[in-house]
Amino acid sequence: MLDDIDLSDPGIVVKKSCCYFCHQNCGVLAYVKDGDVLAIEGDPEHPTNQGGLCCRGNIALKHLNHPARINKPLRRVGERGSNQWEEIPWEQAIDEIAERLSRIKEEFGAEALATAGGTLRTDDWARRRFMNLFGSPNGFHNALLCWIPTFMVETAISGWSPFETDLGNSRVLVLWGQNPGASGMPGMRGITDLKKLGLKVICIDPRYTETAAHADLWLPLRPGSDSALALAWLNVIIHEGLYDAAFVENWCVGFTELAEHVAQYTPEWAAPLTWLDPELIRESARMYATTKPGNIQWGTSVDQIGKAAGATMHARALLRAITGNLDCPGGDLMTGPSLDFVTDEEMEANEWLSEEQKAKQIGSDRYKLTTWPGYGRIAEIAKATWGKAPTAEWMCEAHAPSVFRAILTSDPYPVKALIVSATNPVNSYGNSLEVLEALKAVDFLVTCEYWMTSSALMSDYVLPIAGALERPIIHNTYGCSDSLIASQRAIQPKFERRTDFTFWHDLGHRLGQTEMWPWENEEEAYYYMLYPLGYDISSYDDFVERYRFHFPPMEYYKYGEAGFATASRRIELYSSVLEELGYPPLPTYVGPPENEIDDPEVAEKFPLVLTTGGGFMPYHHSEQFQIKELRFLKAEPYMEINPKTAESLGIAEGDWVWIETLRGRIRQKAGLTNGIHERVVFTQRGWWYPERSALGSDPFGVLESNANVLTSTSDEHCDPIGGSWANRGLLCRVYKDTEGGTR
Amino acid sequence: MTRYAMVMDTRRCIACHSCTVACRTFNDLPLDMIYNPVLTDGPVGVYPNLHMNHMPLLCMHCDTPPCVHVCPTGASKQEDDGIVWVKAETCIGCKTCIQACPYNARHIDHALGVVAKCDFCKDRVRAGKEPHCVKTCHQRARIFGDLDDPASDVSRLVNSLNTIQLLEELETDPQVFYILGTGGQG
Repeated sequence: MLDDIDLSDPGIVVKKSCCYFCHQNCGVLAYVKDGDVLAIEGDPEHPTNQGGLCCRGNIALKHLNHPARINKPLRRVGERGSNQWEEIPWEQAIDEIAERLSRIKEEFGAEALATAGGTLRTDDWARRRFMNLFGSPNGFHNALLCWIPTFMVETAISGWSPFETDLGNSRVLVLWGQNPGASGMPGMRGITDLKKLGLKVICIDPRYTETAAHADLWLPLRPGSDSALALAWLNVIIHEGLYDAAFVENWCVGFTELAEHVAQYTPEWAAPLTWLDPELIRESARMYATTKPGNIQWGTSVDQIGKAAGATMHARALLRAITGNLDCPGGDLMTGPSLDFVTDEEMEANEWLSEEQKAKQIGSDRYKLTTWPGYGRIAEIAKATWGKAPTAEWMCEAHAPSVFRAILTSDPYPVKALIVSATNPVNSYGNSLEVLEALKAVDFLVTCEYWMTSSALMSDYVLPIAGALERPIIHNTYGCSDSLIASQRAIQPKFERRTDFTFWHDLGHRLGQTEMWPWENEEEAYYYMLYPLGYDISSYDDFVERYRFHFPPMEYYKYGEAGFATASRRIELYSSVLEELGYPPLPTYVGPPENEIDDPEVAEKFPLVLTTGGGFMPYHHSEQFQIKELRFLKAEPYMEINPKTAESLGIAEGDWVWIETLRGRIRQKAGLTNGIHERVVFTQRGWWYPERSALGSDPFGVLESNANVLTSTSDEHCDPIGGSWANRGLLCRVYKDTEGGTR
Repeated sequence: MTRYAMVMDTRRCIACHSCTVACRTFNDLPLDMIYNPVLTDGPVGVYPNLHMNHMPLLCMHCDTPPCVHVCPTGASKQEDDGIVWVKAETCIGCKTCIQACPYNARHIDHALGVVAKCDFCKDRVRAGKEPHCVKTCHQRARIFGDLDDPASDVSRLVNSLNTIQLLEELETDPQVFYILGTGGQG
């Protein structure tokens, strides 16, 4: 324990590591002796957390040394799912996997290999590099639920997504479906501090969250109706003359068309769609437009509303533009790619993937902006501006639900092998029942994991992966920021764990890519990436120890001379990129994926509106459910329901209830709260029961309380622009679990 | 003199429970023992007009600690700097102090048969560090320091704001002071 360590012991080294249990990646100091970590604490000098750590950060050593961690490569010996394994050496595992992949490539083509990724804790440029050299365009993450479509829509319109904040200079902050009070503690601290200094906060969220409780205005909209709200804000701001006329005149194209187009979207029009009072819509639009400068911060929710996602992002992007809040002090800043260090995109070897193989990317015929057709166009424009492009990994990926369906149907062609890294797809991808079927059905499945999960269970090989303290990492907003924060390896991986970089590197070596992998480990690759910055460093670790981060001076109005990185060099309110791809060039209203107006017959049977996917402490996605030092805080799953609704359904606090959609049903306990509309329910995400048996039809109880059993990935519910599937705004019903049973 | 005290800025607390986990993890407490829970009241009101308050708790380190006065062996102690703690070696596990404490701040350690409680991380704070629950708090909702030092944050806050002590009427004079108010005012 930390307090028992004699810090004067010359054998103790302090390493600058970080936490991986959310995307804040707080700095962690690791006290290391004899190759093991004795203690950790929050790094007081780290710019993100300044010494603080949330629940998850505090249990880093429990995670590192947990008895359930997988520590040796496993090869399946029994039936798939029987949880019978033999331990084999890494080299043998890599040899056998490489051999199998070669045969699949020979017989079915390189595109028959897909890879599923998880959340940021891996070197995804390395994965992309491997896949490009192998020849498959079919890598994917949960990217489409988490910022990526937002980045791509905003970049299509403005030349680069304006994700960089300058909150210290902002006077109003719009948290659009973001709850840092439960999902990003350092962000919440900043907001709390700035609120005291006068920052106005508008919180758009169906739930009265930790963050909504701190807001000046709370807009509890019907889940999934964000498109109507964004369009009504545009209407108010334009028709009340609250826009920045000079910025629009000088720097935007298509304003006249936009003004005409949004004339129809009045607050009165939006009220029955959003369930918000028209006066609240007006008041909030005025607050955003007149309290300048303003910042609209990204949250996952719009990425998760399915078919309305792209249109909503489009409308939201235009709000920033017409109010002149782009790239100005206190506004939404556009970094562009780093011109000073080697970017992730430059590490990906995208030029090695042939046009023929790019054209085979699954989903690129339908979801064009976030696949090669749209990404290729955006990368072309970006390269004409900067000579660099956004990261292709994340921004340009196969459509995950379509890949799972391709495994089951061989449409558009057979997908025979899947490598899963840093994710449990049954928990984290939409429509869990279909995902589980696909994992059972795929010919060859390899999983890189910390734990035995329901997905790993179906694998042919499970490889033990190094965690946060056992590997270095660079964080720079998916490779799309001009700044970076670097953390070092506290210790070499314990037992026989290895990093994902080593996995891709070694697999590449076996498959004829040797000369394309000049770096033996992450530190060598990162040193190569940082070297052009010109610091007086001798190694990557030297950079971490002496500098740790690179933040170039903040620059405003970077569009000043050359304009924005679009075809017209202006903000394209009327989007040429979207038009070229066959999408509406102006944002048009799209309703929630399932709703009472368009789907009255569904609403009759499923009268409540479901929202899910939001973060809650102490878990991150489907992580940490086996760590008892956290599980005691939320030992069982809870859904949220209004007390009046619960009463009408005969449901009391703490009752087990079924939540059911057209896809399936799950069980969670009823949590009665005034903080939610009578017609809305919220379910917690990520639930599984690692303490339960791996055997049977519901391994580790992964289907019992898992919100993704309810979510929809059907093409009709996916966003045609970016491919997002639907976690929010679906129709459901809730009833008491009288059987007391399982699924 | 030094008089350790804590201020709870409930306007900043978001009930993330990081303090609870940090305390248990870094003090290596048994799983069923929580020194510093966070209670939530709300959302209170009628939708959509609501408010919500969170109340972080721990031992109040009372200036007049009933738990110390009732201890038959002298194991329960109050130091000159105000820290109330239990010397495990002389505790007989009679639980009298658990009954005497109005704040539920004392717990029986079943493995050792003694009473355990928050000691403000006394070894840390005497070495100039913050208690674990304070260090871990991103929100800076827990503020720790020396009440006798007029330059300290706790002294500034206790003297310039309308803070309250819990169950003030019992005249235990807790050295944990609460700034009340709804979220976002801090």
